[in-house]
Amino acid sequence: MIADEATLSRLAALGQRGDRQAYSAMLTACRSWLLRYFRRKVAPEQIDDLVQETLLSLHRKLASYDPARPVTPWLAAIARYRFVDHLRFAYRAAVEAELDGDVPASDDDQALVARLSLDRLFEALPDAQQRAIELVKIEGFSISEASATTGQSESLVKVNIHRGLRRLAALIERI
Amino acid sequence: MTMQSHPDTFIDSLVDDLKPVTPLRQRAGMTRALLALAIGTFLVVTAFGMRPDLRSGHLDPMFLLPTGLFLVLALATAWATIDMARPFVGTRRDGWAWTALMAAVLPGAALGLIVSEALRGQTLALDRGGIFCLTFGTLIGLLTGGALVFWLRRGAPASPAKAGLYTGVAAGAAGIFAVSLHCPHNDLIHIGIWHGGTVILSGLIGRLTLPRLLAW
Repeated sequence: MIADEATLSRLAALGQRGDRQAYSAMLTACRSWLLRYFRRKVAPEQIDDLVQETLLSLHRKLASYDPARPVTPWLAAIARYRFVDHLRFAYRAAVEAELDGDVPASDDDQALVARLSLDRLFEALPDAQQRAIELVKIEGFSISEASATTGQSESLVKVNIHRGLRRLAALIERI
Repeated sequence: MTMQSHPDTFIDSLVDDLKPVTPLRQRAGMTRALLALAIGTFLVVTAFGMRPDLRSGHLDPMFLLPTGLFLVLALATAWATIDMARPFVGTRRDGWAWTALMAAVLPGAALGLIVSEALRGQTLALDRGGIFCLTFGTLIGLLTGGALVFWLRRGAPASPAKAGLYTGVAAGAAGIFAVSLHCPHNDLIHIGIWHGGTVILSGLIGRLTLPRLLAW
C-alpha cells in the first residue's frame, strides 16, 4: 500500500463525505493493493477484471466502511468476497464446459483456467474424494459407473463426493 | 460501468459517480432492531393481551428465565448481525453463539424430559396451543428480521449464509420474546419445544432463504 493506514483511513472518511480528490487517491492506493492481492491468487488475464469488480463493490458499499477502523481489513474482506464469488463462477463454468463438448474455444480457455484453480484446490483432498468428485461432478459419470471405475461402493462414492465438496467449500471460504 | 476499461478512466468514472454517504453505525442499526422488537411486542400485547401474572405483577420464574434468555439471545444475535454489514477481515462475531447455547438448554431439557418419561413408559402430551406461539412468534419475528435484512442490504455482509442464519435466529428470538408476554404457559415442555422451536425454525428459514437476498 502506497499510503499508510492512517492516511488511507482519512482519505476514506473524506471520500464518504464526498471529497472527490481524496476518494480518487484512496481508490488508486486500493487498486495497487488489489493488484498485489489478486496476483497471488488468479491467472494474470483475470486480475484486471477482478480488481475492477472489487473497486466497483467498494464504491457501491462505501457506507460499510467504519472510519474508526483501518481500511485494509475492510478492503481485504471485500476482495475476498469477490474472489470467492469468482471461484464459484469459475467452478460452475468448468463443470458446464466439461459436460458440454460444443462450447466455443474461448469458453474452453476459461474452463481450463478454472480447472487449474480447481486442481490446486483438489490437492488438499484425499485421493478417494478427489476421484469421486472428478468422475461424477466433472466427467459426468453415474454413481454406479464411478463405483465400478474406482472400486468404491456406491454409498462410499456418495459419501466421498459429499465430504469432498464440503471440504472444498470450506477451503474456498478460507482462501 | 464496463469492466476492463483503462484503470485511470475506470477510477475517474467511480469518482464522478461519488455521492456523500453516511457510514453505517452499529448504534443506528441496533436502534432499528430495538424499534422493530418494540413494535412486535406492542402488537402482540395489543392484539392478544398480556399474560395474567404479568398484569397482576406476580411473576413466575418459569416465565422470567426463558423470556429473559430469548430477549438476550435476540439482542446478542441482532448485534452480531448488524456488525456483519461492515466487513472486516479478522473480526470474530461468535459471541452470540454462547447465548444461543444457553437458550438451547430449554429445548434440550424439554427433549430430555420427554425421552426420560418415554423410557419409563409414560407419554408427555405436547399441547396443541404451542402452534399459536410457533406461528405468531415466527410472524412477529419478521419485523425484526425485516429491519436486519434492510440494514444488511445497505452494507456488505461477507458471508451471506451466516448473515441469513444470524438474522433468522435474531428474528425468531425477538418474535418469541414478544409472544412470551402473552403466552400463559409456564411448563418446560411447552417453552422448550414451541418457544425454542420458533428460534430454530426461524434460523433455518433465514439460513435457507436469505443468502440470495443478501448477496451483493
